[in-house]
Amino acid sequence: MAVLAQHDLQITRRRVQPKPARDEVWQRGLIVVIIAYLFFGLVMPLAMVFTKSLQTYAFYPEQVTIAFQMPDGSHAEPRSLQDWLDDSGAEANDGLRASERTRIQIVRIIPKNARADVESFRVTDLSADGGQLLIDGVPSEAGQSYDVPRAQLGKVQVRPQVSYGLGNYGYYFSQPSLFNSILNSFIIAMIVVVIVVPLAFGYAYGIMRTRMRGKAFFRLAATVPVLVPSLLPAIGLIYLFGNQGILTPLLMGQSIYGPIGIVMASVFFTFPHAMIIMIVALSTSDQRLYEASEVLGASKWRTFWVVTIPGARYGLISAAFVVFTLVLTDFGVPKVVGGDFNMLALDIYKQVIGQQNFQVGAVVSMVLLVPAVVAFAVDRIVSRRQVAIMSAKAVPFQPEHNPRLDSAMLILCSVVAVFILGILAMCQFAALARFWPYNLTPGLSHYDFSKVDGGGWGAYFNSLKLAVLVSTIGAAIVFLGANMVEKARGFQIGRTILQFLSMMPMAIPGMVLGLAYIFFFNDPANPLHFLYGTMAILVINTSIHLWTVSHLTASTALKQMDKEFEAVAMSLKQPFWRMLSRVSAPVCLPAISEIWLYYFVNAMTTVSAVVFLYSPQTQLASIAVLNMDDAGDIAPAAAMGMMIFYTNALVRILYSLATGRLMGRLQAWRHR
Amino acid sequence: MSSDSYLQVKNVTKEFGDFTALRDVSLDVEKGEFVCFLGPSGCGKTTLLRAIAGLDIQTMGTIIQDGRDISDLPPSERDFGIVFQSYALFPNLTVANNVGFGLIGSGKSRAQINAQVQALLKQVGLPEQGNKYPSQLSGGQQQRVALARALATEPNLLLLDEPLSALDAKVRVHLRGQLKELQRSLGLTTIMVTHDQEEALNLADRIVVLSQGRIEQVGTPIEIYAQPANAFVADFVGEMNFIDARKIDNGHISIGEIRLAAEAAHLNGSDRVIAAIRPEDVQVQSAEATPNNFDVDVRHIEFCGAYLRATLGDRRLGDVSFRADLSMNLVRRLQVHQGGRLTIAMPPERLRVYPAN
Repeated sequence: MAVLAQHDLQITRRRVQPKPARDEVWQRGLIVVIIAYLFFGLVMPLAMVFTKSLQTYAFYPEQVTIAFQMPDGSHAEPRSLQDWLDDSGAEANDGLRASERTRIQIVRIIPKNARADVESFRVTDLSADGGQLLIDGVPSEAGQSYDVPRAQLGKVQVRPQVSYGLGNYGYYFSQPSLFNSILNSFIIAMIVVVIVVPLAFGYAYGIMRTRMRGKAFFRLAATVPVLVPSLLPAIGLIYLFGNQGILTPLLMGQSIYGPIGIVMASVFFTFPHAMIIMIVALSTSDQRLYEASEVLGASKWRTFWVVTIPGARYGLISAAFVVFTLVLTDFGVPKVVGGDFNMLALDIYKQVIGQQNFQVGAVVSMVLLVPAVVAFAVDRIVSRRQVAIMSAKAVPFQPEHNPRLDSAMLILCSVVAVFILGILAMCQFAALARFWPYNLTPGLSHYDFSKVDGGGWGAYFNSLKLAVLVSTIGAAIVFLGANMVEKARGFQIGRTILQFLSMMPMAIPGMVLGLAYIFFFNDPANPLHFLYGTMAILVINTSIHLWTVSHLTASTALKQMDKEFEAVAMSLKQPFWRMLSRVSAPVCLPAISEIWLYYFVNAMTTVSAVVFLYSPQTQLASIAVLNMDDAGDIAPAAAMGMMIFYTNALVRILYSLATGRLMGRLQAWRHR
Repeated sequence: MSSDSYLQVKNVTKEFGDFTALRDVSLDVEKGEFVCFLGPSGCGKTTLLRAIAGLDIQTMGTIIQDGRDISDLPPSERDFGIVFQSYALFPNLTVANNVGFGLIGSGKSRAQINAQVQALLKQVGLPEQGNKYPSQLSGGQQQRVALARALATEPNLLLLDEPLSALDAKVRVHLRGQLKELQRSLGLTTIMVTHDQEEALNLADRIVVLSQGRIEQVGTPIEIYAQPANAFVADFVGEMNFIDARKIDNGHISIGEIRLAAEAAHLNGSDRVIAAIRPEDVQVQSAEATPNNFDVDVRHIEFCGAYLRATLGDRRLGDVSFRADLSMNLVRRLQVHQGGRLTIAMPPERLRVYPAN
């Protein structure tokens, strides 16, 4: 008996290993699939950027020998290419840095007169690993000799060899032209922060804390820049302040091409982001604090500094970092209006598209990643604090009548609104004017994109297709992922990894992600190579680029649901997908449609990531704006930019109508 | 403990990181029984309920339901219905669809489901409310919808996690009666978690009192109230006077100079003990004829509606005072007033002795 009891005790003291439910296999499978999506669409490409930044290429002319065939058929003593270079006193590749794609023809190393009568050459790759030579495009093998007839010698190229180290970083920091970009980018970003954050604070203050007129209009006006690519304000500025601009005299001889233009356009496109953050920050204040301050005899001015500013401080910090990162990582503005003023994000583009120098592009990417990651981390910490200061007992602030303050704020908001709408109106005017600045009669000729580069109307429809695909697929995957992170049972490891990967994209600048995709998907050895140049890669890239904000929106909505819903569904023996389709998704429909809109609008305007990834078949409207501007077709570029604006504005309006009407029907349960 | 009880909880321990929420808890629940888990917040009562449901599976220990070891099974493979304090009604589904949620995919036709849902709504007294949304119902109605939803799958065990706590007092008392009636008519084994002792005393066939992750006492409401196993239970359930005392022998204790008969055999040795008596058990009527009687001063009187609470003490008791509840009738008859003298008795069978801590 005693033995039995002992045995029984051991059984009950054993740790219980919970068994997974039948539908948990599917839940875990889904989590794994979404992790894989983010792994191959984000982690692997980024790892490639890091690897590439460590790759240096160099020529080894001493590893290749060439022997001339004598008239009697025998070969002369082989000489290395280094010997030939020494003879002529030249350097391999003229002493320039070799990159992955640099090639030197042998005929450029051996002078023509030295090989005048030779009929055939025997080239030998002496290296241990081979591949020093490309013979008609085929790499040479180690220790192998190749006989090349005279007529074919032009097809023999010497190829640089890869090694790993910090050489690219050394090169980068030794080049003032590249290194200066860091300083330029930081200074410009700081200036924009200093202008935009106080301005956005004042603007939001006017909307939230005064009784000025036209609040709804100002709120709407400030969000207009979100609907257009950052290239468009830059184009508008050229019409306003360029060499033939209507307001050029205002610059008093200064050129719009350069820091002035970059700052002005950056203020335009970062303003809504800062303003939305400030609106949220100012909406969380507590009327009771103001009453307390007044009772204690503090002046309005003192109350502002002691109550208002501390209450909004996390918003101010968050807005500063968001604006800073946006300016630092944007490349559209400096591309159009930067002149020869170099910025970091533009350097990546120039190195990769202009010079095909992928390694240096990767180094710039790594440099750009540092402030972006820091800003992201600060923003996350701050936004967590922001939640903590809101108390359930807070009484919403009721602004009082204050004619002087109200009119001051009205003036401030009007100036900003005129600036924003003025630039947009200028673009519209430029798009319609027949021949700026000589024939200003309006016409639609610039909307006929067939006469200019950029892909024409096809590009526009590609953009539409991309936006619909990204918003629909993206909203679905992101919501599924967030649902799994928040609601799945068990599998803590998988959910933690998915949560981490979901937060990552926000810290990755678009240019870096785009470059990462080239490295990863353009490698013929990659089984996913078939995606390169397709619409699919643009969809994947854009959906991941915009993942984090969407994920946070979905998570917030899911967190607001009763946490016992899943427990009830399990007790009723209902699988998770029924819970998801019948309850979670319908309840979160407002959040899902918000994500859809966010994806759509941003897919229409995005340039930075996709600029590396589009192909002739998948040109996009936003890229067309860039390319038309590059080719000097500025009016059609403005017209295409306006097409993006009309589309986004229309979708925005339809969204408002739909959320008003359709939600009213589908969400009848919200009303008592 | 019999080994053929409907639900057997054996040596269940639950740890959340470094925190131990349940320590080696064992318990049997019989078929058809209404059991309440009672205790202060953080005592582990909800944790135990969630372990039985499989929502937070125990770290160690075994749970057997109807002869089947369910220790490691997910909730979906166990047999229970559950109602939460928040009710967790799906806000976007009508009342009928909420109740019928568990019947989807059960192989029943739509008409069968509708009929069953109507029957359930009738059973909980909401026959006309099927097309409304939960937000259009009162708290009490929502609670009954949640109950109907939990009963829809015809579970053999009903788990209630503070189902009445979110309601106001009158509705709560009304629903309590309904709940008990429904449970009795269905003969459904039910476990309810509550921190409300009145609710537990009123509803349960048996009460399980928990504190700090341990079971303090299991017993019928009368046992728990009349014979609390320890000072914690005595204090937590009902009102109780705790008076410092000394053990004289197995049958006697003393409070100050007053010697009283009381069962103290369960306490070994030590002479410092705590005597406990409920205010309503302090006897005034014909106290002279009852053992353990002595005279006291009426130090303070507090009017409580149907009864009067008197604070009593005496020089001979030492530095202690205790409370007694006296009916208004009695007060008038004996002319009890502040500053007067009164003869009272502490009947030996009502006087309980606990070790001093």
